[in-house]
Amino acid sequence: MAFRDLYRQHAGRVYALCLRLTGDAGAAAERTQDVFVRVWDRLSTFRGESAFGSWLHRLAVNVVLNERRTSGRRERRVTPVADPGLLERSREGEREPTVVLRMDLEQAIAALPEGAREVFVLYDIEGFGHAEIARLVGIAEGTSKAQLFRARRLLRESLDR
Amino acid sequence: MNERELQDAVGRLPKSIEPPRDLWPGIEARLGEGGGRRARGWYWIPLAAAAALAGVLLGRGTANAPWRVSPLAGLPIVGSAPLRTAGTLRVGQWVETDDSSRALIAVGWIGEVAVGRRTRIQLVVARPDEHRLALARGVIAAKVDAEPRLFFVETPAGTAIDLGCAYTLEMDSLGNGLLHVTAGVVEFEAGSRRAKVPMGALVRTRPRIGPGIPYVEDAPEALRRALDTMDVKGALAAARAEDAISLWHLLQRVDAPRRGQVYDRLASLVPPPPGVTRAAALALEPEALDRYWTLIHRILFRRLILRGVRDIDPRTGTTVR
Repeated sequence: MAFRDLYRQHAGRVYALCLRLTGDAGAAAERTQDVFVRVWDRLSTFRGESAFGSWLHRLAVNVVLNERRTSGRRERRVTPVADPGLLERSREGEREPTVVLRMDLEQAIAALPEGAREVFVLYDIEGFGHAEIARLVGIAEGTSKAQLFRARRLLRESLDR
Repeated sequence: MNERELQDAVGRLPKSIEPPRDLWPGIEARLGEGGGRRARGWYWIPLAAAAALAGVLLGRGTANAPWRVSPLAGLPIVGSAPLRTAGTLRVGQWVETDDSSRALIAVGWIGEVAVGRRTRIQLVVARPDEHRLALARGVIAAKVDAEPRLFFVETPAGTAIDLGCAYTLEMDSLGNGLLHVTAGVVEFEAGSRRAKVPMGALVRTRPRIGPGIPYVEDAPEALRRALDTMDVKGALAAARAEDAISLWHLLQRVDAPRRGQVYDRLASLVPPPPGVTRAAALALEPEALDRYWTLIHRILFRRLILRGVRDIDPRTGTTVR
């Protein structure tokens, strides 16, 4: 299997994670590239003990969060834009309200404050636990729970508008 | 919205999202700069095995699925024999229909192609990572549910590359074609000339030239004529905000001196998103073009899916109050 094939197989999953964690399509594209370059560099650390997808996923989370830490207070360069490609995978039988809700939800997630967004994406979408999120993000477990509560409240309010 | 409704909505979010552009060239370049200096060692073997297993578990993409072909009407010819019941389509075989016959091709696990009347089409490649047909003439309707760039249809005018979509493709006996996308996005490529055709848009294709400028289904006739003849002045005059995808392509097709006119018209119809400058667009910087495309695409998508539900401002994609 060529590395390119590996990229083709996993690019969508990694891009989705990066897009939701950053809330920025341009940054997500950059982070996705960073992730695969890092995968290439760190292949020797993958020993097949866990599923490759899980290993890749954790590595991607680390890449995005590390970049956020190192970029410090750097301002976001672009306004978040929902990815239409996501929406257009809706198939026959999936009617407008579902698609619109999905689009609005993606936009609402992108508009969340950074800390709340990261915890929400990692917990509610990616299935990480609070202890692991706390370790990855560098916050207390209680803070992770509070951020999740805040994120859900903000999303409900946003979607009710 | 209550907590449960939110959780349901979150549960329906797709796990995979297609990047807005192909990121591989950038990765490949960085691997070449030093990231890829390390030779592949023993670890490559379990990595490949694990990745392959992951693909199998996902149920798609790594296992060869047979290509099946079934008659929909009349007696299509597969190879040299009439097709009376469903059978396997093999690489190299042609499917040919006449005035009274039609057929359905199952594209491995990932989709299907309905073959219309008076059509001749060949299976060229049937691999998990590449599904490729060649359309000599006629009409097909393709529906594919897969990662981008797994399904290709070659024509005398170039190649239609699936980015997760549904479309029809017509080709006359001279190789002139018409691509009409009904879901997702299709890229049509001939040499260095490319067109991105989103849902609700069409593009004409010609042998030795490739794809023309895409236009939306309700584009004014004057614009279509101007695009066909590359009458830039006429196209700029006829274009509406709804025709931004045409101007976005035109920007990249005209020579540098006329690019400013096209950009100014486009920007007056659909203001560029933050971060896109005139200079970057005129220099055809990929990031600026991608951002502009994302905005234009999103507006078009909202306009189409909310037709009859909400009025959408074609300049911004927001709901008109």
